[in-house]
Amino acid sequence: MNQLKDPRKTFGEALIEVGEKYDNVVALSTDSCGGSGTVPFRERFPERFFEFGVMEQCAVGFASGLSLMGKIPFFVAIAPFVTARPFEMFRNDLGYMAQNVKVVGRCAGLAFSNLGPTHQSYDDVGIIRTIPGVTIVAPGDPIEIKKAVHKACEYRGPMYIRIGSPMMPILFDEGYDFEIGKGVIMSEGRDVTIIGSGTVLSKAYYATQILKRDGISVRLINVHTIKPIDEEIIIKAAKETGRIVTVEEHSVVGGLGSAVAEVVSKEYPVSIKMIGINDKFPSTGLYEELLGLYGLQKEQIAKTTKEFIKFGA
Amino acid sequence: MIEIDEKEILYLEKRALNIRGKILRLIKAGKVGHVGGAMSAVEILTALYFKIMKIDPKNPKWPCRDRLILSAGHKCLALYATLSERGFFDKSILDTHGEINSKLPGHPDMYKLPGIEASTGALGHGLSIAGGIAMGAKMDGVGINVYVVMGDGELNEGSNWEAAAAISHHKLDNIMVIVDKNKLQISGKTVDVMNYEPLCKKWEAFGWREREIDGHNMKEIIQNAEIVPFEVGKPSVIIANTIKSKGLKFAENKASYHYWKPTTEEIKVAENELEEMERRLEV
Repeated sequence: MNQLKDPRKTFGEALIEVGEKYDNVVALSTDSCGGSGTVPFRERFPERFFEFGVMEQCAVGFASGLSLMGKIPFFVAIAPFVTARPFEMFRNDLGYMAQNVKVVGRCAGLAFSNLGPTHQSYDDVGIIRTIPGVTIVAPGDPIEIKKAVHKACEYRGPMYIRIGSPMMPILFDEGYDFEIGKGVIMSEGRDVTIIGSGTVLSKAYYATQILKRDGISVRLINVHTIKPIDEEIIIKAAKETGRIVTVEEHSVVGGLGSAVAEVVSKEYPVSIKMIGINDKFPSTGLYEELLGLYGLQKEQIAKTTKEFIKFGA
Repeated sequence: MIEIDEKEILYLEKRALNIRGKILRLIKAGKVGHVGGAMSAVEILTALYFKIMKIDPKNPKWPCRDRLILSAGHKCLALYATLSERGFFDKSILDTHGEINSKLPGHPDMYKLPGIEASTGALGHGLSIAGGIAMGAKMDGVGINVYVVMGDGELNEGSNWEAAAAISHHKLDNIMVIVDKNKLQISGKTVDVMNYEPLCKKWEAFGWREREIDGHNMKEIIQNAEIVPFEVGKPSVIIANTIKSKGLKFAENKASYHYWKPTTEEIKVAENELEEMERRLEV
């Protein structure tokens, strides 16, 4: 079993690292620094930490203004409150104005499993993906979280980083080459391609191991950057394996599955099975059980993939 | 209080008249435009760009410049006209309003023209953006002022009040808001459509220091807008009482001239009215 790490704590550590490296990195909080992993940053750099109470629309606008003054603002809070709620501010003040702001949605997906659809974020990728010029990164393990935060500072432009809250297994080593916009083949195969990312990449990874054990040749691709998506790696997979399964802790409307479908439909159409939340407001319960309700446990992904190979989508 | 002689006031009033002429020129070229709110903001923008703000039209990205955020982005014809009058870009560009891919869209785009500090248009965004600029300037110890021109109808948007609270909370006293209070919004009088009175008291309750002035009186605008802040540690707001469509008698104080698609005859009438205004100014 891989070692587990807390994604929010990991993000907080990464923020300190970039804070030390770049003196123009600033952090914005909307009454959520405790849960966002930014308390260490506040303690280390109090003059670069700004509290906004529960004012997400205003915080996005401030972040835009700080960026106009040459800062690299990180605005982190619960995912729906940095995406759905201040959507127009994200679209206009960050996207249209092309500002160098990094918005981090934490506890994304079903992490707030018992708190219901108001706090679950099953649509954040879908809505932010409609904004031209915004890069969307969904790190698949703690190593990717750290690397995404560092890369975010090297890259100029608006970015949305999506992280969960349940403990995440470490899948990559420290020296792993993480490049924004470049997918990663984690397993070679020719019968089927599984494309996963973010909070459930590990589920796809373990499902791949089950399928391999059962003699199925599975290609597993980690698409950590959902926008701009790595078209080349997806089209190659479509051509070489003929079918694709997408795995996301998000609605199947507008998320990773949709992004993959947009690529293959114009270049090399193949059948796609999208595993995710089926256009319904998610239910409530324990996190792992809720993932199971939407077919996102490793055994379920493996079973769905086998049936897909046998019977089609 | 700075003393301004009558000669200088006259000079600025002439500039304001030129700006009104340019707004009309823009509308003539584009065949349409937000005339009411543009005309009501002319004296405010003239005073800021010709007397108050530290700016350099030849170096529009000068880091130590004062910033102006036009939060009510639909007033942009007044901003385009003012920037052109101040020498930020050639006046011939004004005639491209309405053309495909024009540098003068119906709401300002910061990447299309020098002097535009933020792309605005959707109401209730500019004050937060200004807050971030002011915060960044304080962090860097840069002594600049950030001016925000807002509409009174715009103040319906709740996001403004988030920003008003946050700016006051963070003691950003390098911000001055000027509310172009022309008392009308699309559907009628602001007090009937959505009443925000008493407006001054609302700003005060949010921790701002406020003054109310005649927004067409150049001297009053200058003598108040030059004082930033009104009180150390607090942001400042000027409620500038104005007349929608000021200068075009047939359109003054009429909500229907919020957005105007004039006929050729109407343009002619408007031009005559501005000529009449010029004659009055010369007397």
